[in-house]
Amino acid sequence: MKIYTIIALLWCLIPRSASAQDEDSLRVGVKGFVDTYHAVRTEAPNDWMSSRTRVRGEVTLEKGNAGAFVSANLVHNAILKDRSGFQLREAYAYYSDDHWDVRAGRQIITWGVADALRLTDIISPMDYTEFLAQDYDDIRIPVGGLRLRYSRDIWSAEVVAIPVSSFFDLPTDSENPWSVGPVPIGSEPSRKFCNMEYGGRLSFFLSGIDFSFSALHTWNKQPVMCNGVGEYRRMTMLGGDGSVPVGKFVIRGEVAEYLDELQSGGARAASTNALVGLDWYAGNDWTLSAQYAHKYVALGEHRNTGLSTLRISKDLLHNTLSLQTFAYIDVTNGGVFNRLSADYALNDQLHAIVGYDYFHADSGMFTVYKMNSELFVKLKYSF
Amino acid sequence: MKRILLFAALISIFNLQSSICFAQKLTGRDVIQKVKDRPDGDTRYGEMELTLRKKNGSTRQRKVTSWAMDEGKDTKKMMFFTYPGDVKGTGFLTWDYDQIGKEDAKWLYLPAMKKTRRISGSSSKTDYFMGTDFTYDDMGTRHVDEDTHKLLREEVKDGHKCWVVESVPVDKHEIYSRKVSWIRQDCLIAAYVEYYDKLNKLHRVLTISDVKQVQGFWTIQKMEMKNVQTEHSTTIVVRNSQYDVKVDKSLFTVAKLEKGL
Repeated sequence: MKIYTIIALLWCLIPRSASAQDEDSLRVGVKGFVDTYHAVRTEAPNDWMSSRTRVRGEVTLEKGNAGAFVSANLVHNAILKDRSGFQLREAYAYYSDDHWDVRAGRQIITWGVADALRLTDIISPMDYTEFLAQDYDDIRIPVGGLRLRYSRDIWSAEVVAIPVSSFFDLPTDSENPWSVGPVPIGSEPSRKFCNMEYGGRLSFFLSGIDFSFSALHTWNKQPVMCNGVGEYRRMTMLGGDGSVPVGKFVIRGEVAEYLDELQSGGARAASTNALVGLDWYAGNDWTLSAQYAHKYVALGEHRNTGLSTLRISKDLLHNTLSLQTFAYIDVTNGGVFNRLSADYALNDQLHAIVGYDYFHADSGMFTVYKMNSELFVKLKYSF
Repeated sequence: MKRILLFAALISIFNLQSSICFAQKLTGRDVIQKVKDRPDGDTRYGEMELTLRKKNGSTRQRKVTSWAMDEGKDTKKMMFFTYPGDVKGTGFLTWDYDQIGKEDAKWLYLPAMKKTRRISGSSSKTDYFMGTDFTYDDMGTRHVDEDTHKLLREEVKDGHKCWVVESVPVDKHEIYSRKVSWIRQDCLIAAYVEYYDKLNKLHRVLTISDVKQVQGFWTIQKMEMKNVQTEHSTTIVVRNSQYDVKVDKSLFTVAKLEKGL
């Protein structure tokens, strides 16, 4: 009996790819990875900033047009003990035919064309437990909700409804090297029907341009300090984005108006957020990408802030070695966070990654981390 | 991002009898045009294994699954990586336009980011596909007039009667200065192609060793591209080729790209 159970489990673990003929059979897809990540501060006292190992599993079950997807982590975190254990990432059921796509459950929803900056992409909040030292997909917090999309050849319309919103995860524990400080965070909005989040996006995909319009009735998901306490308030986002390929370049743009946004101190005011980005596919496996995002608040003394990013990547040795530098530049205050990394594929499954996170800031958003420059190593086995 | 499946479209079938009748009148361009016009169904499906082999014998693998659909002279393609695990689920959607000067439309979906990116339609043509020895251009439907073609001679290669065509790129930024193709006259699929670098030294050699008819369409089952200067090579094995498969054109949309396999 035991052998049959083992065989059945092994059968489930064999990834099955889609083909043109097996649409009516149950298809099981399994993927995931095991990785171990360790980072040491390069400033005194040279303590360990991160030391964690995890297993990520992702399972897709699909029969006909319906299916389910589950993604979860099993983590051992030697620094942040309360982060060890089982973590459910996404878990949703879906129905998808030629034109309709419905997803219900815990899911990550991404909007917009910005790279690692959020203007219209404000549904899934951010987990800053280890600031930006986690993989980007770990930083996004899934939301529990319904997403309904109808698509045709060159356009799609999407509506989302999130009964109970998720909010930023900000570390305030002084034991955490990435703590933002002992900041009291106010209570999240009560779980009432009237507090649900909802919105929609209309997107067009044409031969020479992509563009979208979006609207979302939401919350400021990153707490805003009001009388010494981080608070959440309602706001409405109206936005648009576009991408235009021009030769070896792609020009990206995104704008978002946050109506009635909570501002520091407690006042409410509209803010205008705009981003322009340029990607250059330079050839010989070089890619360069630069963005500038500007925020204007129609209230207060510091009405204008700017944040820029720069990414340069190069693949070598038949794509087995990937070098990349990615920088956030706080234009307003002169701060910098730069992640330099080298990723070498030891074989098809195993990658070794080394890198250096560099912080420099005298004021602004990176100040709290100005002593957090670190050297990191990571080993990742994908299956 | 590109067009493994439609590599076969570069390498087409001639009607042997008509080729004999018109052999005297054929030009190099005629041969390549007929190759491009080879019937290959309105839709196609295929699964490919790419094996990269270093000089020391160590290997790496990539696997992709792809669909293609013709819309007039244009072609829409969807491709997903299925192996190795770190790129599994990565998808490419391309709308290839036949019109010279009209940029192809391309989208890349990265499952880890849960995000689709519009990418350049004209970049990378001379880059190597995913670290293989095939450039994106080698894998794609290169327009006939992007090269000037010259029919050099007819000769037997590996037991197959072939036309030998020299093609010189019009754009001097291409990575090869010329290529010489041995096109089999029985099935109009290249048996052998030599690529010469800017110094006119032999750079890469393509050998197509296994060709079969699938649903009446000549189909490449196995081919190898070897860089004779570095001795790195890539073998592509095509499995489960299907033509005129039942797929809706809604498959070739960003929404389906994001849904994945």
